Amino acid sequence: MGSRGEFSPQTLAVLAALSGQASAWQHGYALARETGLKSGTLYPILIRLADRGLVEACWQDEPAPGRPRRHLYRLTADGLASATTALAEAELAAAERAGSTARPGASPRRGRGVAAPVVP
Amino acid sequence: MSWPSRIATVAGWGAVRLVPAARRDWVEAVWAEAHEVPAGWPRLAWRAGGLGLIAKEGQMARTIGSWLLFAVAAGAAAWGAWPGPPVSHAAAVQGGILITLALLVGLPLLSRSVLGSPDNRAARWLRAGFYAAILAVLPAQAAIRLFLGTVPRSGNDRHTFDVIQGPGVPGSISGGPGWAGEIGILIFMACFLAVLLALTARRAPVAPATLAIGAGAGLMLGLVMYAITPLGLNVKFPDRPWLHGSAGNTVGALAWILLFCAPLVAGALAGRRCNVEDDPAQAAVAQAWQGFAAGVVSGGVGAMLVTVLGAGTTALMVRSAWVRDFLYHGPHLTASAVYGRELYASQDVSAYLVLFFGFPIIGFMMGLAGTGIANLKPRLPDGGRPGGPPGPGGPEPLPAPPDGGRHVDAEEPTVLAGGADAGPTAPTPVLAHH
Repeated sequence: MGSRGEFSPQTLAVLAALSGQASAWQHGYALARETGLKSGTLYPILIRLADRGLVEACWQDEPAPGRPRRHLYRLTADGLASATTALAEAELAAAERAGSTARPGASPRRGRGVAAPVVP
Repeated sequence: MSWPSRIATVAGWGAVRLVPAARRDWVEAVWAEAHEVPAGWPRLAWRAGGLGLIAKEGQMARTIGSWLLFAVAAGAAAWGAWPGPPVSHAAAVQGGILITLALLVGLPLLSRSVLGSPDNRAARWLRAGFYAAILAVLPAQAAIRLFLGTVPRSGNDRHTFDVIQGPGVPGSISGGPGWAGEIGILIFMACFLAVLLALTARRAPVAPATLAIGAGAGLMLGLVMYAITPLGLNVKFPDRPWLHGSAGNTVGALAWILLFCAPLVAGALAGRRCNVEDDPAQAAVAQAWQGFAAGVVSGGVGAMLVTVLGAGTTALMVRSAWVRDFLYHGPHLTASAVYGRELYASQDVSAYLVLFFGFPIIGFMMGLAGTGIANLKPRLPDGGRPGGPPGPGGPEPLPAPPDGGRHVDAEEPTVLAGGADAGPTAPTPVLAHH
């Protein structure tokens, strides 16, 4: 669990947002603003992560006057470990991609696993 | 808050009820969070996402598909069964059709709010099967009534009609039950449906395997009963076009055996499959429930199957010359004799109603008896045999889940009471299925 193939870019964005303040409870709207995701995308991701035990959720104890209680989220210990691994792998993959496209003679059209010609 | 927002909020909180209890928190979270989103389009978009979540988590596609399918089938059944103005008692028949459809729609909604919707495939298939059967019987019954009530104008048919049905006005359409008959049938059907819906609801203490076992036994019983009574139920003058001589007697004997033994065996099997660990008293109650349910379901399915097939065959016979020729090819009867048999068969179809009383009651008693018989054989510890070496132990218990968590891969056990809506402190003895 936690390898980058398991998480979509949107899920990685949510994991990144949650792991930014790993111990703090966060609101759905704050996560939506940080990730740029709509509610229809964000909440199914949170549900899947909670089903896998990577995110825990609870209701706010004391809501603001005149407002309904808010649902709060944070990563579990497993979730934090998975998020850290997945984000590191994603970062590495992004760096590899950036490196290969920056090399002279490399073409982004080449298939995966095809070595770019090295110019001496 | 403006009135459109107020309406949207109320509608949103109401729509949350469409989502399974385990997922409602999430939808409520989206709705609660909408108050933090800036008013206007952003809040509307946020709520639209919430509606999407309701559609997805509430399995709306399946629900809408089921309702559409039901609407089409119900429309077709009503169209096929709707009597024309020449039919006497047309208003009673029309009222009966409308109330039947209302019951088919309303009772599941009532059952859902009280006992929960079905949460397993066996329950859903059983409900769908009964619904399809009831809708199929409506047009078949209408065709039979029309045939039974149409008075021939003259000739041998007129004479046969007068002998069997009594004198009528030539060329007119009469007969059929009036309001009293319709109301009686409707009350009975409502009770039958209520029992079915209760047994297949989420909070019913009935395991899916029990429903499957009962349905299987009922299908067997229904098919054998149909083989000996394909054209109505007339014990005195049985009409079996395809069973002659000793074959009819053999299948008849098999039907009697199945009538009592199918629910007995179903009850025994269902009772044996269920156990409440570490609580003999709860175990006895749970097993009795399984036996009762398996027996009633087997009787109900058997009665329903033979009614649908029998009424369908009779309706086809009176509407189709090909079916008539196929059924009476052997005896080479005269046209007048065939007409007489059709009249008898059409009359006898109404006697299938007796099966709806009798079969579930017999099933109920035999199912309970089956559970009792199953319990006479004591369970042996460690799966061993008397006098033999101890057998292998049971599977390793699952590790305790984290606080407030649940096993992602563990199959959810069937709860005896409470269900998903029960609070965390509610006792929920578990039915273990071997």
